[in-house]
Amino acid sequence: MKIAAYRLAFLAALIGLWWLASTMVARNLVPSPWATVLAAQRLIAEGRLMSALGESLSIYLGGYGVAILVGIPAGLVMGTIRPIGKTLEIFVYALSATPRVAFIPLIIVFLGLGPQAKILIIFLGAVMPILINTYAGALNSDQELIEMARSVGAKKSRIFTQIMLPGAVPFILVGLRVGATIGLINTVVAELYTAVKGLGGLLAIYGNTFRMAEYFVIVLTLALIGVIVTEALRFLEVRLGRWRRSEVIV
Amino acid sequence: MIAPDALTQASASDVKANAPRIVLQGVSKTFSSNKGSGTVALKDVDLSVRDGAFVSLLGPSGCGKTTVLRMVNGLIKPDSGSVLVSGKVPEPGPDMGFVFQSFRLIPWSSVRGNVEFALADLLPDKAERRERADRYIELVGLKRFGDAYPSELSGGMRQRVALARALATEPKILLMDEPFASIDAQTRELMQIELMRLWTVRRSVALFVTHSVDEAILLADQVVLMGPRPGRILEVIDVGLERPRWSYDVRAEPRFIELRAYLWDRIRTLVLTDPESDFYGRDLGSAV
Repeated sequence: MKIAAYRLAFLAALIGLWWLASTMVARNLVPSPWATVLAAQRLIAEGRLMSALGESLSIYLGGYGVAILVGIPAGLVMGTIRPIGKTLEIFVYALSATPRVAFIPLIIVFLGLGPQAKILIIFLGAVMPILINTYAGALNSDQELIEMARSVGAKKSRIFTQIMLPGAVPFILVGLRVGATIGLINTVVAELYTAVKGLGGLLAIYGNTFRMAEYFVIVLTLALIGVIVTEALRFLEVRLGRWRRSEVIV
Repeated sequence: MIAPDALTQASASDVKANAPRIVLQGVSKTFSSNKGSGTVALKDVDLSVRDGAFVSLLGPSGCGKTTVLRMVNGLIKPDSGSVLVSGKVPEPGPDMGFVFQSFRLIPWSSVRGNVEFALADLLPDKAERRERADRYIELVGLKRFGDAYPSELSGGMRQRVALARALATEPKILLMDEPFASIDAQTRELMQIELMRLWTVRRSVALFVTHSVDEAILLADQVVLMGPRPGRILEVIDVGLERPRWSYDVRAEPRFIELRAYLWDRIRTLVLTDPESDFYGRDLGSAV
C-alpha cells in the first residue's frame, strides 16, 4: 500500500515535469498534459484511436501468439532431445544476435506490405527470447529430482510433465516477458516500415505534421499496452512462483 | 498404522521362504570420467541381505556405498556380475523406497503433493492416494504441514517428508543414502529413533548408507564395512545388540563400545593408507 502511494507520487512528479517542459520548450514542441488529454478525447470521439489500437493489437497478438506457439515447443524439444539442441543452438544464437529488422526489406519482397508481413516481423522479434529462455529452462532441469522420479518408477512422460516442465516455467515466463516487449517494439517498427497503419502509422502521421498532442497520445497508448502485458505476465510469475524466489536469466 | 495384510502380502510374494532378499554377486562397476580413465566404483562385490534385516553400509568417501544402493534400486546396471532383488533384476518402482541425502523434494509441490508423487502409479484413485499420503505424513509427525511447501520447512522436517514419501508405497525394501548427514546433531538423534520405530512396525529390508560409525552400529543388525579405490566389501559384522534400542542407552553397552573402537580403527587405517585421501600418510595417533 505504501509502495502504491509512492508510485502515485512519482507519477504526479513526472506529470509535473512534463507540464514544466511544455511551458519552457518553445514552439509548442512539447504539448501540455491538458492539451494531450483534449487530443485524446478528440481521437477517441473520432474513433481513430480505437481503430488504430485494434489494428495494432491484432497484429501484435497474432505475431506474439505464433511466437509462443513456436518458441516454447521448439525450446522444449531442443532442451530434452540433446542432439537436436546441440545441433541447433549455434544457429539459434546466431539468429538472435542478428538485428531482425534487417530482414524487413526481404520480408516486404516476399509478403508485401500487408498484415502477414507485419505479423512475421513481430514473430521474428518475439520468438527468439521465448525459445532461448525455454531452452535454458529445459536444460536447467534438476537431475537429482529426475533421478528421484525414476526411483519411484515414474515414466518418462510423467517426469517431463511433472518435473521438467514445471521446473522450466520461471524461465519460460521470463522469455514471454522479454518477447512481449520486443514484439511491441517490432509492432511499431512494422507499422512504420510496411503499410503505414495502426498506432505506428498514426505516430508517423502526427510526428511528420508536428501535431504533438496527438503524437503524445499515441506514445502513451503504446506505453500502456506494454505495461498491461508485462504486468500481467509478472502477476503470473508471482502466482506460479509462490514456492520460491526464482533465479532466472534474461 | 500399518495394515497387517501388507505384511502377509509381502511374505506371500517371497520367492523362497528363507532366501536372501538382495543378492549381489561379483558386481563391478566403472564410471568413465571425461579424462578417459575410468573410476572403479566397485570391484567384485558379493553381498547378500536376508529378509527383514537392517544393514548399514559404512566406509570412507569413494568406497561405492551409494553405487550399491543405486544398483539395488535398478537406477544403474553393473558392468559385470549380477544384482538380484527378490530373485529378479531390480527395476525402480514403488516396491522400493529411496531416501536421498539431499531430500530431493519437489519444490513446487506441497508436502502432500510430494508424498503423492510416489503413489501415482500405485494408487490411481485420487481419494485413496490422498488418504495414504496423509496417513504417512501423520506417521512422520507432519500432520499440520500437509499443505506447506518444502521451502517452508526445516531440514529435519524435509527429511521426514522424504521418509514419508519412501515409506508411503509400503516398500519391501528401503534404501537410504546418508539421509541424516545434512541434519543438525540433535535432530539427527531423534530421527534415528524415529526411523527405528517406523522400521520396527514394517520390518522391510533396510539398506542404510552412512559415514558415521555410531549411526551404523546404532541402527543396524549388520554393518558392512567397505573400503575405497576400488570400492569393495572388507567385512560384514553382526551387531548383536538387543532391540528395541531406544529403550536403553545403547552407547553405554560394552558391545557398542567394542564395535565402535574396532570400526574406528579400521576406518582410520583405511583413510590414512588411501593415497587419494586428504589424510594420507598423516600420523593421527593410535586407537580411540
